[in-house]
Amino acid sequence: MKTALKTNEPAAPKTRLSFIKMDGNILRLLIIMLTIFIIASITKPSTFLSVANFLSMEKQMVEYGLMAIGVGIAMIAGGIDLSVVYIANLSAIVAGLFMQKFAVAVSGPEQIFFIVLGILLGLLTGIVCGLFNGFLIAKLRIPAMLATLGTMQLYMGIAIIVTGGSIVSGLPEPFAIIGRTNVFGIFTMSFIVYIVIVAIVAYYIGKTKYGLKLYLLGTNEKASKFAGIKNNQIIIRAYMLSGVIAASAGLLSLARINSAKADFGSSFVMLTILIAVLGGINPDGGAGKILGIFLATITVQLMSSYLNMFPEISNFYRDMIWGIALILVLIVNHVLNKKSEAKLMRLTSQ
Amino acid sequence: MNLLTAKSFKKLAVRPEFYVFIIILLLSLFIQAKSGLFFTNNNIVDLLRSMTVPLIYAICAYLGFISTGPDVSFPLIAALSGYLATQFVMVTGYSGSIIVVFLVAIACGLVMGAINGFIIAKYNFPSLIVTLGTTSIFSGILLGVFEAGRIKLPESMIEFGQQSLIKVTNAETGLGSSLPMTFLIAIGLYILTYLFLNFTMAGRGVFAVGGDETSAERAGFNVKKIRFGVFTVNGGLAAIAGVCYSVESTYFLPTEFAGMEMIVIAAVILGGTRLMGGVGTLTGCVLGTLLLTIVTNSLILVGVPIYWQKFIIGAIIIVGTAISVIQIAELKGFRRSKRKKVEVA
Repeated sequence: MKTALKTNEPAAPKTRLSFIKMDGNILRLLIIMLTIFIIASITKPSTFLSVANFLSMEKQMVEYGLMAIGVGIAMIAGGIDLSVVYIANLSAIVAGLFMQKFAVAVSGPEQIFFIVLGILLGLLTGIVCGLFNGFLIAKLRIPAMLATLGTMQLYMGIAIIVTGGSIVSGLPEPFAIIGRTNVFGIFTMSFIVYIVIVAIVAYYIGKTKYGLKLYLLGTNEKASKFAGIKNNQIIIRAYMLSGVIAASAGLLSLARINSAKADFGSSFVMLTILIAVLGGINPDGGAGKILGIFLATITVQLMSSYLNMFPEISNFYRDMIWGIALILVLIVNHVLNKKSEAKLMRLTSQ
Repeated sequence: MNLLTAKSFKKLAVRPEFYVFIIILLLSLFIQAKSGLFFTNNNIVDLLRSMTVPLIYAICAYLGFISTGPDVSFPLIAALSGYLATQFVMVTGYSGSIIVVFLVAIACGLVMGAINGFIIAKYNFPSLIVTLGTTSIFSGILLGVFEAGRIKLPESMIEFGQQSLIKVTNAETGLGSSLPMTFLIAIGLYILTYLFLNFTMAGRGVFAVGGDETSAERAGFNVKKIRFGVFTVNGGLAAIAGVCYSVESTYFLPTEFAGMEMIVIAAVILGGTRLMGGVGTLTGCVLGTLLLTIVTNSLILVGVPIYWQKFIIGAIIIVGTAISVIQIAELKGFRRSKRKKVEVA
């Protein structure tokens, strides 16, 4: 109430505020990440600090890390994308079925051609799914949460219908190699793909005109409309981006486990939201950075791998820990934001 | 006179409940025509039987939507409090009235609901994210900490589950079906919720808070208290549903609860509850639940394969929300155009 009374004071420099807030969050993440890393290295040096462990961590984090970026983009736009996991599955299934049909029987360059075509088809599936989400949210004005709640069921349903509820497996060998290749012995191929995608998206959201418009839209939809921005286009593009990123996650998982299923990874829905929020994305829209999501993904994976080293802790405990972490992070971010706001208010009122 | 009826019909036709009713009618007639098995006494009783628990869940989802936003934690609150109540009976060897079992469950549910309510009301976070988080926590407690497995319920609880309200047998097919006592509980809860929402100040406050937070606050409603109350009550309601579900199936099945929230939310939205809060009727909840139950139960009768279910439910959520959102937009557009005409005149 006190702060509300002082709104007629001169406004604070906006850029400085957001700069301080972002950096604080990323610094916090780095500290948490290093703490977990150090604790894990000291308590379980032989198993944690091994190449095998790093390789498996890389493989696991890539898939939900990518999906979390999709969720994060939707959140920056002021919405949410609950359907990413099922977009990933559907894309993997479409690509898998295509490759199964055309690429297994042939060999040589023809096979490579069909595999590439299969990958493109998978990505296209993701784009179409994202376009449909965007259409529902931007054109029909359905709240993002409910639109994607519906499409989540819809895409899963389509995947079940297409596969008849069974697993898609038996992919051509050259495709499966992507999931197995290591570069310099310590990087998996999929991790490198992941880093490239993160870099591209971070540039696209952080440095381009489109990204700026996206943040403005997420902060204040009306202001962005009156600034002459075509809101609908921005929203649709954000969900298409989220869809294509989810599809790439699906394709990488297809290459890794050499199979795809309609309800694979349903527990990722919660995890992707946790990572996005942990990474400093504001669920109300307009704030957060892709780099934050990347660091949050690594933090979560370190924690998860560390917990894995205690066989007495069942997997179900992990659900509980993620739930508690999500709510604690929300509260901590909220309190810290309030504090920095109050500080700024004090500074400006002097 | 003629004009009046036309007007009231028009008013009726705008309401989503009316469309849902028409769809239910057409769908049931279609299933009847195709299979001849829809309007049989055992199928109707079966439908009512499988509606019982979703109906109670629907109140949770409904209260969440009209006051704040989506609540997805009720299935897991139901599971955890159902488990705790069952354990209470097992450990103490209690064999008295079933009401005490319900009270134990409700107490557990209220505590869990209060956690949701506290976080949502105090920090004003999106209810979906908070309830997703608490769902994960409750599921971790149930399956990780308690390591709950499939439990055969104690005698006293099974006995209650087997008392039936109505018992019917189809003369032609010989298939029998019975309606458990839990159906009465669902009806009782609807009556209580109706009375509370329409005849108490706090009940009107639930609508006011969802409709416009600022206006409600200025009108003297305590927004935070109402939100906290709604989510706490939701916990208690979910607990009742949890016990009902267990006594109906004579087993406690910890993994059977999760996933119900989607179907229930779809039903409530279909019934015309507005997503942004403030609008919706209990009649709509009942009709929406009936439609979804028919879809999941009876489509098998006309030979639609089970694996189409997810797709159909997803499509229903999208079409249902799209229709209600477009209707709101049209209503606004209508008002605007009317005002313009007046200005011109």
